[in-house]
Amino acid sequence: MKQAELIEILTEDKPRVKLPLRQFYGVVWSSVKMMFAYKSWMIMDLLSTFASVVMYYFVGLQVNPLSLSQTGWGTNYLAFALIGVATSNYLWSCLVRLSHSIQHEIRGGTLETVAVTPVDMLTFFIGQTVRGYLVSLILLVGIFVVGTGGMGVEFQMMPGPLIAALILFILMLISNQALGLIAAGVIMVYKRGDPIAFLVASMNEFLAGVLYPLEMLGAFPLLQAISMMFPYTYALDGMRRALILGASLADANVLTDVLVLFGFSAVLAPIGFAVLNWGYRTIRANGSTSSY
Amino acid sequence: MYAVETIGLAKQFEKEGSKSARIIAVDHVSFGVKEGEFFGLLGPNGAGKTTLIKILCTLIIPDEGTAKVAGYDVMKEPDGVKESIGWLHGETGGRALYWRLSARDNLMFYAYLQNIPSDIAKKRIDALLDFFELTKDADRLVKDFSTGMKVRVMLARTFLPNAPVLLMDEPTVGLDALGAIETRNLLRSVCKDLGKTIVFTTHNIVEAERLCERIAVMDKGKIVAIDTPLRLSEMTKRFRGVEVKIAGLQEEALKVLTKVEGVKRVRSVQPEEDHTVIQLEVVNEDDALARIPESLRKGGVRLIGIQVALPTLEEVFMSLTGGDKREAS
Repeated sequence: MKQAELIEILTEDKPRVKLPLRQFYGVVWSSVKMMFAYKSWMIMDLLSTFASVVMYYFVGLQVNPLSLSQTGWGTNYLAFALIGVATSNYLWSCLVRLSHSIQHEIRGGTLETVAVTPVDMLTFFIGQTVRGYLVSLILLVGIFVVGTGGMGVEFQMMPGPLIAALILFILMLISNQALGLIAAGVIMVYKRGDPIAFLVASMNEFLAGVLYPLEMLGAFPLLQAISMMFPYTYALDGMRRALILGASLADANVLTDVLVLFGFSAVLAPIGFAVLNWGYRTIRANGSTSSY
Repeated sequence: MYAVETIGLAKQFEKEGSKSARIIAVDHVSFGVKEGEFFGLLGPNGAGKTTLIKILCTLIIPDEGTAKVAGYDVMKEPDGVKESIGWLHGETGGRALYWRLSARDNLMFYAYLQNIPSDIAKKRIDALLDFFELTKDADRLVKDFSTGMKVRVMLARTFLPNAPVLLMDEPTVGLDALGAIETRNLLRSVCKDLGKTIVFTTHNIVEAERLCERIAVMDKGKIVAIDTPLRLSEMTKRFRGVEVKIAGLQEEALKVLTKVEGVKRVRSVQPEEDHTVIQLEVVNEDDALARIPESLRKGGVRLIGIQVALPTLEEVFMSLTGGDKREAS
């Protein structure tokens, strides 16, 4: 193409209107496209998750149904474990996905190319989290399909327990994503926080009782006390009560879990946004929006 | 009104490993760039050029002073600034792209963020990919591109919003000789034909000299001189030389020229599309002007033109930044 033709095409213009939703769509669209460019990684991730379901099936065969029922969670260990395994992907996604992605953008220099456009950086950052949610959703649906269809696990699917589980799930996302925003803000500034975020997520997963009832921590009061500091603990407790025991919002324990999670969300969300803003402002002040 | 204006702009950074020590990156810099002007920032590494450009595109918050781009204050009206600029950071060598997206998708992503309507964006993307000779690779992932191709995608991205002000940090780094020439021609043309204001930084003094209407020479965060390339050259009178323009690029010509009596050394060789400009340092300009055409004719080299040469910008630059003394020591 000749220069003159290019210049003619460039001069053809229409007024630009800032549409945050369209920008958000652009972030999610590009993010999902990139995800599909990592085909082998996606396949391995799916396979390893489904392999873990099969593993817990066999672990479940070794668990004495009586000892599980004594903790109040019914007799099917696989049902108990599936809820933990299926939602733990979201936990990781909320806690580490954004900070990991921001670090990657800073190292590659792409954060700067985004920051010089009229997109609100919060729109960009939140858009970046959607990819993790989509992957987690695929894994969650896959796990439940394999668990219920292939291994005979039964959940309470009445409207009351389902609504309770859905509310708890949403509050779990909000409260944990708020923690993820805090991690992202701090890591943006100090650049080397990934191992800490990884440790917090691992501890969270371990102590919240993804694979075992928290009642089993009775002999370790300190660990039990720490587990009470994580929103995920309440989310898992409430979702299991709903989906395994059939409890609805009318149940005092489920309602308590909802209220605690709501409290976590109400406190952590504004802190998360503030820390993320602080992080972004700090790297603009110290000139470290890129580090190649 | 200036398209780009700074008043007393200053920025310091904390020195790595020391809370108290500071590095002065930009030291109370004031200048104005007129609308439609091609303006260069020239300086050695660490002179503060990139920090200055990054302040102008709102990436770095200044400590003191004000800066306006297209009439918008970089601190108070960042969205206005961002809607008025096309930015390129050539020093990244093509890293500032999403390698797991195709060239076309990289540009489309940018169009979404820039609020460019889809129909306009698609037309421009096709045209830019065509111009930068990327059409046949447009749907391949950028990770498989050479550095030169990546830089061309970045250049296409810079032109995509058709912004009135282009802030370009080392735009031709990573391009091959022909790509650099074509890019320079395009920059010259968008500045002249579309009335764009271009502020660009470069290490390439010849590039700055040929493109820029005015140049600011930066050193240690300060602007040490700001003027047209011609006036900057006139600042240094020590040099005695001639500029010879010959057809094509002939190795033979250099051999002939270095043997001419009174020619001390070849200072620079600048190949262009169909000719080459050679600068020579001589003992006496008048003698050289008389002897060189005859020697070239005997050597079978076609001479297009010959004239007395002013000091190159490089010499001015070295003189202004003290580089000549640094080099000598």
